[in-house]
Amino acid sequence: MLWRLDIILLLFLVATALGVYVTKDLMAASIIFSAYSLTMAIVWQQLSAPDLALTEAAVGAGVTTVLFLITISKTVRRED
Amino acid sequence: MIVQKLGANFNYVIATLLFCIGLFTVITKPNLIKKFMGLNIMEASVFLFIVSVGAVREGSAPIVVKGMEKGVQFVNPLPQALILTGIVVAVSTTALALALMIKLYEQCGTLDADELKGMEE
Amino acid sequence: MRKFLIFLCLAICWVVFLSAVVEMPPFGDPANITNRHVVPRYLEEGVEEGGASNIVTGIILNYRGYDTMGEVTVIFTALAGVLAVLKREDVKTSTTMVATSPVGPSLIVTTVVKLLIPFIVLFAVYTILHGDVSPGGGFQGGAVFGASMIHYTLIFGLLTYMRKIRLAVKVPLESAAILSFAIAGFIGLFFGQKFLTFLMPALSHEAQYLLRHAMLLLIEVGIGVATGIIFGSIFASLEKVERI
Repeated sequence: MLWRLDIILLLFLVATALGVYVTKDLMAASIIFSAYSLTMAIVWQQLSAPDLALTEAAVGAGVTTVLFLITISKTVRRED
Repeated sequence: MIVQKLGANFNYVIATLLFCIGLFTVITKPNLIKKFMGLNIMEASVFLFIVSVGAVREGSAPIVVKGMEKGVQFVNPLPQALILTGIVVAVSTTALALALMIKLYEQCGTLDADELKGMEE
Repeated sequence: MRKFLIFLCLAICWVVFLSAVVEMPPFGDPANITNRHVVPRYLEEGVEEGGASNIVTGIILNYRGYDTMGEVTVIFTALAGVLAVLKREDVKTSTTMVATSPVGPSLIVTTVVKLLIPFIVLFAVYTILHGDVSPGGGFQGGAVFGASMIHYTLIFGLLTYMRKIRLAVKVPLESAAILSFAIAGFIGLFFGQKFLTFLMPALSHEAQYLLRHAMLLLIEVGIGVATGIIFGSIFASLEKVERI
């Protein structure tokens, strides 16, 4: 049962990575990137690495996204 | 046969696929911020690969609790210890790159790699 | 056209990767070569030798202490780079995006953040201090601490952050991780052992273990505080807007 959850999570990782590639709006892309990081945190919980899950949830979904958002708000929002 | 083996190693398949998607983003997108998101995706995929190498099915997290019976199957703690510092370092490098981008935008007024290339002269 | 060629190259790359993946040992098998080399010793002796029930913490601080010291230096250097490129925020010359934006944060957001921040910080402190018996440790707790500070600054503005955490407090704390490593390392030299040795045979059995516990806790707290403060400083210097 949990084994199937793993597969769904991994496929969702691919979907979010493609979403980051496709999205033209950088603000939306960084939010999708934070979803990628959060999914990665759950994958690490599934791989029995609670330390990594904690760090990734705080760093990937919290710090990196905010840094990207700040940079975007100071520079350009549209990609092209 | 091959499909069965790939199915058993599904984590590695996804990790390599994510690596390729990230590399594709880095190469084809002109925007520097987008390039860096691609680089972060690549980083995370490598982390996923290394942690998956040490994973054990039905293994428990490597925390020894007093009174635990002997012979419990733990997962491999070594890749986790290596990746833990890696995640934090990845954020610091991202922060440095974003600081450089803000400075670049102040100086040149664009974050497009192709336009920046034309500005070299 | 160029995009298509790159796509083709990467697709071929992926096929090469897949042919390597087929040859990899099966996922999740305890008998894999990676799980047989040094890891059995870490798992069996790790609690005794490393000094922490959480074996990941034991490996990070004890077996691979030099490695972690290098990583801590990398984070510190990244902060130095950010501060060299963009200046540090200053009460006199910098203002904040919250102050310059026409719409302030809504009442709901400010109230929720104000209520939640103490609990997040409490969780970070718990994670740092209990790193040896439960999931957690310096890097994890520090990341949570830094994230809480960043979100506080994001809602209440840079000026509040500068008033809460003053420069005279911030600058010494940013180097706390490297300093704690240096102090713990030189304790070993003091007893005639190598740098970053945790067990001193010169002491009695109990004093030895007590000293090791104290050193591990010192490094853990140092890493946690420094990581959090460094994330906060990086964010503050990225976010500041020069007042015209």
